[in-house]
Amino acid sequence: MAYAAELNSDHDHAIPTGWRRYVYSTNHKDIGMMYLWFALFAGIVGGLLSVAMRLELQEPGIQYFNGLAQLIQGASPETAMDVGKHLYNVFVTAHGLIMIFFMVMPALIGGFANWFVPIMIGAPDMAFPRMNNVSFWLLPAAFLLLICSMFVEGPSGANGVGGGWTIYPPLSTTGQPGPAMDFAILGLHIAGASSILGAINFITTIFNMRAPGMTLHRMPLFAWSVLVTAFLLLLSLPVLAGAITMLLTDRNFGTSFFSPAGGGDPILFQHLFWFFGHPEVYILILPAFGIISHIVSTFSKKPIFGYLGMAYAMVAIGAVGFVVWAHHMFNSGLSLATQQFFVAATMVIAVPTGVKIFSWIATMWGGSIDFKAPMVWAVGFIFLFTVGGVTGVVLANAGVDRTLHGTYYVIAHFHYVLSLGAVFAVFAGWYYWFPKMTGYVIPNWIGIVHFWISFIGANILFFPQHFLGLAGMPRRYVDYPDSYAYWNKISSYGSYIFAFGIVFFICGVVYTYRRKELAGNNPWGEGATTLEWTLTSPPPYHQFETLPRITGSDH
Amino acid sequence: MPVMELKTIMMKRGFFGMLAFNAFTLLTVGNAFAGYGMGDDRQMGMQGSATPIAASISSFHDMLNWIIFSITIFVLALLLICIFRFNSKANPTPSKTTHNAAIEVAWTLVPVLILVVIAVPSFRLLKDQYTFPPADLTIKAVGNQWYWGFEYAKDSGNIKFDSYMLSDKDRTDPATQPRLLAVDNEVVVPVNKVVHVQVTANDVLHSFTIPSFGIRMDAVPGRLNETWFKATREGIYYGQCSELCGKDHAFMPAAIRVVSDTKYAEWLAGAQKKFASTSDESPRVAAAK
Amino acid sequence: MADAHAKNHDYHILPLSPWPFTGSLSAFIMAVGAVLSMHKLAIGGLHMGLYIFGAGLLGVLYTMFGWWSDVVREANQGDHTRVVQMHHRYGMIMFIASEVMFFVAWFWAYFDVSLYPTDTIQYARTELIGAHWPPKGIIPFSPWELPLFNTLILLTSGCTVTWAHHALLHDDRKGLKQGLWLTIALGALFTYVQIVEYRHATFGFSGHIFGSTFFMATGFHGFHVFVGTIFLAICLMRASRGDFTSKQHLGFEFAAWYWHFVDVVWLFLFAAIYVWGSDWGRAAAGAAGH
Ligand code: HEA
Ligand code: HEA
Ligand code: CUA
Ligand SMILES: [Cu+2]
Repeated sequence: MAYAAELNSDHDHAIPTGWRRYVYSTNHKDIGMMYLWFALFAGIVGGLLSVAMRLELQEPGIQYFNGLAQLIQGASPETAMDVGKHLYNVFVTAHGLIMIFFMVMPALIGGFANWFVPIMIGAPDMAFPRMNNVSFWLLPAAFLLLICSMFVEGPSGANGVGGGWTIYPPLSTTGQPGPAMDFAILGLHIAGASSILGAINFITTIFNMRAPGMTLHRMPLFAWSVLVTAFLLLLSLPVLAGAITMLLTDRNFGTSFFSPAGGGDPILFQHLFWFFGHPEVYILILPAFGIISHIVSTFSKKPIFGYLGMAYAMVAIGAVGFVVWAHHMFNSGLSLATQQFFVAATMVIAVPTGVKIFSWIATMWGGSIDFKAPMVWAVGFIFLFTVGGVTGVVLANAGVDRTLHGTYYVIAHFHYVLSLGAVFAVFAGWYYWFPKMTGYVIPNWIGIVHFWISFIGANILFFPQHFLGLAGMPRRYVDYPDSYAYWNKISSYGSYIFAFGIVFFICGVVYTYRRKELAGNNPWGEGATTLEWTLTSPPPYHQFETLPRITGSDH
Repeated sequence: MPVMELKTIMMKRGFFGMLAFNAFTLLTVGNAFAGYGMGDDRQMGMQGSATPIAASISSFHDMLNWIIFSITIFVLALLLICIFRFNSKANPTPSKTTHNAAIEVAWTLVPVLILVVIAVPSFRLLKDQYTFPPADLTIKAVGNQWYWGFEYAKDSGNIKFDSYMLSDKDRTDPATQPRLLAVDNEVVVPVNKVVHVQVTANDVLHSFTIPSFGIRMDAVPGRLNETWFKATREGIYYGQCSELCGKDHAFMPAAIRVVSDTKYAEWLAGAQKKFASTSDESPRVAAAK
Repeated sequence: MADAHAKNHDYHILPLSPWPFTGSLSAFIMAVGAVLSMHKLAIGGLHMGLYIFGAGLLGVLYTMFGWWSDVVREANQGDHTRVVQMHHRYGMIMFIASEVMFFVAWFWAYFDVSLYPTDTIQYARTELIGAHWPPKGIIPFSPWELPLFNTLILLTSGCTVTWAHHALLHDDRKGLKQGLWLTIALGALFTYVQIVEYRHATFGFSGHIFGSTFFMATGFHGFHVFVGTIFLAICLMRASRGDFTSKQHLGFEFAAWYWHFVDVVWLFLFAAIYVWGSDWGRAAAGAAGH
């Protein structure tokens, strides 16, 4: 429906119709669309899980999860409390995994990058259109496996994986012998395969399919960000695959990689996991950086300030990001010298990230800024990401991380960069590109109201968690000492506000589709200079049947 | 205590008063009014420091807080200037500046300098944490699903006992036995003595921590990690398991009571009797379930 | 651009394809089957795990067959222009890069235990391995017997595949086939020798970190040899069928690249695990002497 034939008369093969068009798709825009709907769905699931967690944490004591255990796991009244405690961990685990692997990554990389990287570099499609679709379809398979895991046994007597998204052994090996963990592991394998194939596709597309005249140094920053991200994926995910394969064989075939009795080492898993896991967090944020750059430039009606610095800052973040992993392990017994190295390396990343923050501000500086919805989200992103970033620098100091590791301070840190960073960028990108993708205008006020609900809600939700962490409240706790009650309650209230924002957002989407107000080629005016704004909205099924020729150096 | 009065006055003003008061304490006197040994209601900073290391952590964190506050406020200020001065009404024609070498160098170098300023005390603190003074006492903490086992080394009393969280019905005196923190068998150590803590686990990962002491160390099966503290203030200090270990992760606190030398000697004598007969089997069996 | 009515570039715009979907579905089925069989779970009283796994595997293999058949057909139709060929090269290089990182994980596990055998903090491990690598009580393979032989086999096979490549470049179809035949035979011989070696192992797969790292690292390598051999065999079939020209033969080139990659991984395995990890063969010889 999105590519109504009358909008583009310039194609000679018929546009496929019916379910085959999507299920068998080889079209980057259709695949991008599927990714976005998938991310939206997963985001709602992950969000519901987190609201359930916040509901439980609103008051000290266990109020809801014992009941939930009876409701969804059929626990008996006697075991309800124990199963409920485990169920809380299952929710935490699923929430973390879903938000990261099935919401942010599919939205930013699978969705927006699929849609706009080919267009921005003036290419008709991705380099491997068929492989693009397998990258997508592996995700529902992986997601289903994760869902399966919630309904089979984990530790004896309770269902689901309660090992945290980091699935550290021995809790993930001997600690939860049931099949649930194996479902989750294989789900991660498949999600990882999907991302590796996607990464190969993006790198090839960006290196080989830039339109004539578009040198790397003229390439839009979003494409740069995806290029760096793809390299991080390509080089870090296989290590995770190795690590979880070791988990699998330790669990099922008697190897002892992580079992001390057999000479194994649980810390080895942490190294392997974080060698992937740290680049992963930049995988989640770099595409967001790219989107924010375009939005800031578009609405300031100015080209990006310090374009090359912006591009190479991302390269630097990506490269240094590979040698900081052990800052997640400061308390696992690393030697002093090791900790010193990782402290220093980690803090270095603040420098290129600062370059990005200041360049965005410099782009706005002297601009003539229209505060339309995407821009409001982008400015919110810059501020909130800074808040999350600087607490990262606090954590980078092993001496302080001694006290803060494993507490809500960490939770606050990464939700500021993820839930208020990456997710804000998802929404910024959504409001920015929605008219281009669907051809319909979202009323500006919807985006603005959604922003303010989210901004207020998210800050009430996550700012008090700093206090909880400083005061010592550990994470992954279903219940906490009464002295933490106050800030927990406020945090929970914040989550309801934030969640209401999502409901509002969805209503906005439905409203927009029903209103069907058409967007022109370029709804944002002179500031929008990248190639997608030269096409119709939505773009033709196959754009650039004659390649555009790039001459200027507008990014 | 004028500050305490201020606290009561501000508390009367409700949430925002509280926020203002806490922001004030957070920024001025760090954790001076925070709880010792456990969190305090509505606390915003770290727990009170009972060891020199914890005090260094706190003061270093205060310094970091100033720095990150300033950076965040600076970024916010720049954004606000952009919002008010460079919106399309206030500034209809955008400039086209895209480069300024001087400023680009500045915003690279200044953060580097700030990081160096952070790194110096940071490395000193880290080094201090890893400089073990000779031990007066050596205790081993063993994580189990879901309780801590403690062993005082041969030359440190040679006792061994397990420590479980008190359930609600066992908490006879809620005032001195806080929910989720109080345990049946506390670890007792003398004040002003260097205590080495060896940390390991029997089943899955756990993590041993006492925030007021500024220590946290993962308990890893097959691995003997070590940390140390020297408590300079008597009192009871709690910590909660800090590595996800299964369903009762939230229910395996550790409690360390710091007492005078004489009281310690008394306790030890008693403990050696109480835990003597149970050296092989778990003392939990003896204690009322 | 809007006035152009036909594709005016060298990229490959593909028609719809069922393979991504069937592949994902099969992968899902395979995973479910794997879990069921690993846990011996029954559905309605029937232990079907292995069958489900097998069905999924068949689906995956069928998908691969269908998918790559399409690719070959497209290549023969001339869809693979110069730039599309370039895509494929980039794709293959990056696939191999990701494989390299996969092996990094196994080497990491190996060095994690073998580099610091005397680390007393790891008391359980140090006790088990006797603060020594190779661990006390373990008799590793002597590197200078079958492993060295296998090294030579793989090195030779690297030469024969290059021979085949040169033959192809000079339109010498017979040489191409001979070179491929030889390479495949050497690959099969390698696998056979590896199986023989495994059967003579005095240490087990399970319960000990030595066996875990040894068998998983060399096992995954062995699996890659197996896949590489099949890849070459398919090239041989295609060569016999008349595919490949001296100008365009990506399928063959990729098989050769893959083969070299497998070869290099082996050299690292040989050096790190067999030679250094057996104390330059002394551990094996010393133990054998007793
Ligand atoms: C999008 C995701 C994302 C991003 C971008 C970051 C960015 C950073 N993170 Fe974060 N982090 C996570 C996601 C992310 N993190 C997650 C998910 C975890 C927890 C995982 C788990 O355990 O479950 C975590 C945990 C985590 C830890 C481990 C804490 C612990 O468990 O004990 C540490 C420690 O060093 C850390 C540090 C940092 C640093 C230094 C940055 C830096 O990149 C930040 C750089 C940015 C700035 C500094 C702000 C802008 C800069 C300026 C305005 C310039 C001037 C600034 C200075 C001079 C300071 N992070
Ligand atoms: C991207 C990652 C992400 C996001 C967005 C969130 C969002 C939220 N998270 Fe969290 N969270 C994690 C990643 C994330 N989280 C991780 C990794 C952990 C650690 C897990 C572990 O310990 O193992 C964690 C843990 C965690 C905890 C700690 C639990 C514990 O330790 O006991 C809590 C508690 O309050 C929490 C709450 C919330 C809440 C209330 C939100 C709310 O913000 C939720 C509101 C909903 C949204 C913001 C989603 C909206 C998005 C969409 C609807 C999609 C839109 C898509 C398109 C437009 C295409 N999360
Ligand atoms: Cu023990 Cu968590
Ligand atoms: Cu990190």
